[in-house]
Amino acid sequence: MHPGIYDTVLDWIPQGARVLDLGTGDGAFLQRLIQAKKVSGEGVEQDAGLVARCVERGLVVHQGDIANGLDQYGQHAFEYVLLLGTFQELVSPSDIVREAFRVGRQVIIAYSNFAYIGVRLQMLLQGRTPVTQSLPLPWYRTHNLHFLSILDFRDFCRDIGVNEIKCATFNARGPVRYLPNLRAEESVCLLQSP
Amino acid sequence: MTKRDQGDLQDQKVTGYQSVLGVTQTQTVRLPGIRTQSGHEFAHVDVAYQMLGKLSPARDNAILVCHALSGNAHLAGLHPETGRPGWWDYHVGPGKAIDTDKFFVICSNVLGGCNGTTGPASPNPATGKPYGMSFPAVTIRDMVAVQARLLEHLGIKKLFAVTGGSMGGMQALVWAVERPDQVRVCVPIATCTSHTAMQIAFNEIGRCAILTDPNWNTGNYTDTCRPEHGLAVARMVGHVTYLSEFSMTNKFGRNRQSATEEMFSVESYLHHQGQSFVKRFDPNSYLYITKALDDFDLFAGQPAAEVLSKVQARFLVVSFESDWLYPPAQSRELVRQLKRTSVPVTYINLETEYGHDSFLINNPPFSNVVRHYLDNEYHRE
Repeated sequence: MHPGIYDTVLDWIPQGARVLDLGTGDGAFLQRLIQAKKVSGEGVEQDAGLVARCVERGLVVHQGDIANGLDQYGQHAFEYVLLLGTFQELVSPSDIVREAFRVGRQVIIAYSNFAYIGVRLQMLLQGRTPVTQSLPLPWYRTHNLHFLSILDFRDFCRDIGVNEIKCATFNARGPVRYLPNLRAEESVCLLQSP
Repeated sequence: MTKRDQGDLQDQKVTGYQSVLGVTQTQTVRLPGIRTQSGHEFAHVDVAYQMLGKLSPARDNAILVCHALSGNAHLAGLHPETGRPGWWDYHVGPGKAIDTDKFFVICSNVLGGCNGTTGPASPNPATGKPYGMSFPAVTIRDMVAVQARLLEHLGIKKLFAVTGGSMGGMQALVWAVERPDQVRVCVPIATCTSHTAMQIAFNEIGRCAILTDPNWNTGNYTDTCRPEHGLAVARMVGHVTYLSEFSMTNKFGRNRQSATEEMFSVESYLHHQGQSFVKRFDPNSYLYITKALDDFDLFAGQPAAEVLSKVQARFLVVSFESDWLYPPAQSRELVRQLKRTSVPVTYINLETEYGHDSFLINNPPFSNVVRHYLDNEYHRE
């Protein structure tokens, strides 16, 4: 993920919020969030080695699959649920987002924009599945199951009935304000259930 | 991991094993008795226990380690007489998972046990003869009540942590639920909140082996005529449930003791396990403790949320993917119940391939997780 994504999320989350980080990895960002914003946070991660890294950092972490790991949390146990960089890997994104809205009041999702100009050109000129900075792995090694654009994501939100409150988009040179669906490589947005 | 390390320290032939702790002592104290859940009043109980490390001036670094079915108070270091290492020597000592340089570590033999704490083999004060089957039924909660007596005796009002695997994990859970203000951190390992039919079934096979041994004599056996055959068979069955197909294939395969020998290595290993166990364990204790395990139900018919709502401790729950006796699903269910009552709980399911025994063997990933967790929690404000 573009570092700007993490800075943006850090900026959006208020002091002392309760945060659940899905796909927390080695816990580096969650730890940063706890230190900078004094949030009470916990993570879900399926890789035992990464869970061990989180334990070393003193984080509360749950080893499990995101799909199976959410039903153990009570309704609105968190103010924010984070899905940073794992969204495209989910088998059933709409079910997960609905479940995320059960356990959290707001959901923050980051994803790669498949309609980025660089991606479009690779597809058009080379006729091959694109490999870019934010889609770094070839098709046979990527964990991504879904290839979506910013416009697709907005349709998705409309379809499942959630509102995009805030959105920030980035490419390698930094924040993108104009024509994000064409010019941005990555997007992060704050969603709220009406 | 070398081949020699692929086992627990209890009944293996451990030659040349070195413990950083050197020789460690176990002591016994007579404490005021308890009333058991079954209603029996013990006027007093003897408790065998071991203490390692130093209690901090603030008395805030005590860790109680609870042992499993076949364990005892000899937690770590070498036994002064036998020279054998304690059952958790891999994980308790300077710089280890339970770091004796930082923590004051206590382990006591359970009520109903046979290694120094009052149990069926102890003399009944009313008759002067061993209790045998007149010993009252004991429960995991009774075991915890006796541990609490010991802590009172040692002047420890609050534990930093309570931990244990298998039956030890059950005791740790009871501590967190029944004495919420006395536990800061609870680390149940490879355990459950109540036995399933399968877990009860394996224990029943063990009990039947003892009960049908002609030497059992309704529990009134003598030192020279004990139901050793029955107890050995019970241990053999139990031991198989502690391993995994992987660990057995890896350790024994279809090897034989020698080219001329008819016996498979796994057979002679189990015989050795059985024979070694009968020398150090009382058959009646085995009956009482397995019954306590089977009867255990943390929630005892109450809604889990209600029982757990009292909990103040933070939790680390550990399970092992290859453990088919206390499968990860049981730990996950515990985690779910804890999370639903907003208890801060970290859960890790380690890939260790050595079955239920994974917490007893030399297991660096396990050791590291426990060490880091305890260290971070101890310094948490």
